[in-house]
Amino acid sequence: MIARFAVSLTIPDNTAYTTLVALRHLGIDLERIERAELYEFDGDFDAAKLEATIRTIETIFNPNKHRMELRSLAEPLPGEVWIDERDEPVATTTRVTVAGRMLEGVRSLRRATAWRLYSGGKTADSATVGRAVETLLCNPAFQRALYDPRTKTVASHA
Amino acid sequence: MSVAVMVFPGTNSEDETLRAVKAAGLDGRLVHWSADPASVRGFDAYILPGGFAYEDRIRAGAVAAHDRLMDVVIEGAQSGKLVLGICNGAQVLLETGLVPGTGPIRRPTAAFAPNGNGGRFRSVRVYARPVGARARSPFLAALGDAPIPMWASHGDGRLVASHAELQTIESGGHIAFVYSDEAGITSDAVIPNGSALGVAGLVNARGNVLAIMPHPERDGWVFQHRDGPEKLAAMNDGDAMLAPSGGSVIFSAFAQAMNAGVR
Repeated sequence: MIARFAVSLTIPDNTAYTTLVALRHLGIDLERIERAELYEFDGDFDAAKLEATIRTIETIFNPNKHRMELRSLAEPLPGEVWIDERDEPVATTTRVTVAGRMLEGVRSLRRATAWRLYSGGKTADSATVGRAVETLLCNPAFQRALYDPRTKTVASHA
Repeated sequence: MSVAVMVFPGTNSEDETLRAVKAAGLDGRLVHWSADPASVRGFDAYILPGGFAYEDRIRAGAVAAHDRLMDVVIEGAQSGKLVLGICNGAQVLLETGLVPGTGPIRRPTAAFAPNGNGGRFRSVRVYARPVGARARSPFLAALGDAPIPMWASHGDGRLVASHAELQTIESGGHIAFVYSDEAGITSDAVIPNGSALGVAGLVNARGNVLAIMPHPERDGWVFQHRDGPEKLAAMNDGDAMLAPSGGSVIFSAFAQAMNAGVR
């Protein structure tokens, strides 16, 4: 099975703000940006137990400043792009450890950063996301960007 | 000859770099990110020191590469001025596309990506051996064949690029330095980060923009050594302790190229 968790900050996200300012300087008209770290676990495990374990690993999830949600979709949300490293080492042994903790039943782990862009009161359209990816968010020399060019925008709730 | 040592929020090696620049006889000055770009145009050369410019937000060097002062540096590089990027400065230069310089500006074709050990930070004394590009680079022409001691101190120093781009980098003579041992032998054991082709530094086609990952300014004087034999021998001898060490030759070469009027 695959379980995908998104971890984001509950406190102000300075990195997202810097990115917002930088993209505006590059001429991309955005209202705000949300950022989350995505962790995709593959293996034969109990998802609830895995989630409980992850919630105790502070290098991934610190309850004082993070929120964590299970992502059921295997693709980015509207206005969102996932950036990961093309050749990021993926653990493929039967024992995956994070911060010295063994994750029972997990065979592989991939990480990505999810950026969600908002413009004009709704999620940014794919053309805008594409420009952000090309100009700043992704270095194609070692990173991949995953977003759906056919995606529709949805209203912003912020 | 005036050299701007650029300081972005998060840069942390500007003082050592400035000291090395001055020791090479150059008129070095710190230039902060808030400076008026017009005032920065007058410098004869630019150095981007190490650190974590803009906290490496998004990825190492990505935000600094778009700083308005980098417009001036890019313009200077394109007019032939010398530009040296060290560690984080090297990452910035790759993000600007100035190095290796095989694609458009600010469309990077290569990167110093997270180390091959899972991105863990490493600080270790290394040797960087000058290679092929010397003939056309004013920086490198003054260097001999001998490996130069420096300090690799980074979490993102692994050269990555597509297979085709790596071939272009190699065949186009863009490799300025490779990691080696003291005798000049390169092997997996001496590459601290898994860098492709063992690359420690890259240069552009014109030879005036150099990006090196290890820090020469941290091996500029004997007193900077960590209990090595040279430092132990220099104990109780002020002059010996203040003697130039291996990394200083990079700045001497920089000064030599500037004094030769490279533009």
